[in-house]
Amino acid sequence: MKKLNWLGIITGLILLAVNLPFVIIIPSSLTAAGYLSFPPQGFSWQWYEKILDRPEFIDSLWFSLQLAFVTAILATLIGTLAAFALSKYQFRGSRVVNALLLSPLTVPTLIIGIAVLMFFTRIGLAGTFTGLLLAHILISIPYVVRLVLTGLSMFDYTLEKAGYMLGARPFRVFWDVTLPLIRPAIVSGMIFSFLTSFDNVTVSLFLISPGTTTLPLAIFNYMQETLDPLVASISTVVILLSLVFIVLLEKVYGLERLFGLTSQSH
Amino acid sequence: MNRRLSILLLIAPSMAVLLGVFLIPMLLMFLLSLQDEAEQFSLANYLLLVQDPYYLELLWRTIRVSLWTVLCTLLLGFPVAMFMANASGRVRGIVAVLILAPHLISVVIRNFGWVVILGEKGWINETLLWLGLIDKPLRLLYNELGVVIGLTDAFIAYMVLAIATSLYGIDTSLYKAAAILGASRIRTFFSVTLPLSLPGVVAGITLVFSLSMSAFVTPALMGGSSVKVIPVIAYEQIMSTLNWPLGAALAFLLLGSSILLVSLFARLVETKRYKEVFTA
Repeated sequence: MKKLNWLGIITGLILLAVNLPFVIIIPSSLTAAGYLSFPPQGFSWQWYEKILDRPEFIDSLWFSLQLAFVTAILATLIGTLAAFALSKYQFRGSRVVNALLLSPLTVPTLIIGIAVLMFFTRIGLAGTFTGLLLAHILISIPYVVRLVLTGLSMFDYTLEKAGYMLGARPFRVFWDVTLPLIRPAIVSGMIFSFLTSFDNVTVSLFLISPGTTTLPLAIFNYMQETLDPLVASISTVVILLSLVFIVLLEKVYGLERLFGLTSQSH
Repeated sequence: MNRRLSILLLIAPSMAVLLGVFLIPMLLMFLLSLQDEAEQFSLANYLLLVQDPYYLELLWRTIRVSLWTVLCTLLLGFPVAMFMANASGRVRGIVAVLILAPHLISVVIRNFGWVVILGEKGWINETLLWLGLIDKPLRLLYNELGVVIGLTDAFIAYMVLAIATSLYGIDTSLYKAAAILGASRIRTFFSVTLPLSLPGVVAGITLVFSLSMSAFVTPALMGGSSVKVIPVIAYEQIMSTLNWPLGAALAFLLLGSSILLVSLFARLVETKRYKEVFTA
C-alpha cells in the first residue's frame, strides 16, 4: 500500500507537469499588464480584444479550421476505402498495400514536408491550398487506416451477406449494416485527422504561401519575434477549441485505446 | 461488381496520394541530395556532412539531446506506467486522459507554456528568487536543458503507454509468488516487474529516440539560436540559404542516423536477452 501511494505522488506530479503549460496560459491571458508575468497582474480582457486587431490571427484560425475540416473529410474517406479493401478482400499484394499505407509514419513529418516541397515546386503545387491539403491528407491517412482496420477486424461480413440475401443493394447494405457498426472507428479517425491537421507545423512550414498561413505556424512565427500575453490569449482560444474535440474523442473511442493504436504504428 | 475492379477502385485514391505526396517526393529528394550546384551527380553534400566538424558536432548534439530525452522520459515515465498498471480501471482511465490529452493540443502552445514557466521572469525563477534560494535567475531556457525539458514533456506519453502496455500483461500471480517466497518489494521489482516490462521499455526508447531526433518545433522555440539540431539546420538550408541539395542530404543524414542507431540498439538488446536466457 505504501508503494502505491509513493507511485501515486510521482504520477500526480508528472500529470501536473504535463498539464501545467495549459494551466498557466489561461490566467496569463487575462492579465492587465502589457507583458507576461507571474502572477498575472489585475484582470482584463484586453488581450482578447487585441486578437481582433490582428487580422493575421483571425485569418489563420479560419484558414486552419477550413484546412483541418477538408483534410478530415478527405483523409477519412480515402483511408476508409483502403481499409475496406484490405479487410474485405484477401488479394495478392495486400500486405504490400498495408505496409505502404502505414509507411508515411516511418518518416518524420519534417522530412516529408521537405520532400513534398521539392516535388511540388516542380509541378507547381508548392504554396497552393491543394498542395498543403494533399500533404495534410497524406500524414492523416495512416491513422485512419489503422483505426478503421481495427474496427473492421471485429466486423462480421456474414451480416453483409445477410443484407444481400434480403435483397438490399450494395449501397444500402453499406449504409444500414456496415457503417453503423464501424462508426466509432470512422468518427475517431475523422476527429484525429482534424487534430493532426489543425496542430501541424512541420509540414505546413514548407508548403504555405506567403499570404496565408495556418494558426500554429502564425503563433510559431510570432513567438520567435515577441513574447507577450497576446500569444496567451490566442493560445487559450486554441486550447478551448481543441478540448471540445478531445472530449469528443474520449467519449467516442477512448484516448488510451486510440493512442495505443496510433503509437504502435510508428 | 467485378472483385478486381472493386479492389482497384477502393485502393486507387490512397495509392495515388501515397505515390504523389510521399514516394515520388522522397525519391526526388534522394536524387537531389546527390547533386552539386551545377546539377551534376556528386557525393559532395554527403562528404561535406561527414567531414566538416561543424556537421559532426551538429549530429552529436542532436543525438545527445535525444538520449537525454529518452533517459528523462524513461525515469519519469516508468513510475507512471507502474501506477497505471496497479490502479483500478477508473483511476487508470483518468491518468490516461490526463497524460494523453495534452498531446492533442499543438506543441507550439505547449512550448509557449513552458517558456512562460521557465523564462527569466517565469514562475520558477520568480518563486526561487522570492524564496531567496537564488540571487539571479537560473538559465532554464534557450539551452540544451530547455530543449530536453520540452521534449520530455512532448514525448513522455509514448514512453508511459509503451511500458504500461507490457506491465498490463504481467500475470499478477507472479507477484503473489514473489511475496510468498519472501521477496522484498525492491527484489520483486528487479526480478519480476523490470524484466517483464523490458519489451515495453525497448519499444518506448525506440519511439522516443526517433521522435526526439526529428523534433523541430521544440528545439526552435525552447533552444533558441544556441541549440541548433539537424532539423533546425535542415529547415534553414531549405528556406533561408536555399541550398536544397544540402538540405536534402541533411534530411537523409537524420533519417539514416536515426535508423542506424535504433537498429543497433535493437540488436544489442536482442543479444543480451538471448544471453540471459542461455545462462539462466
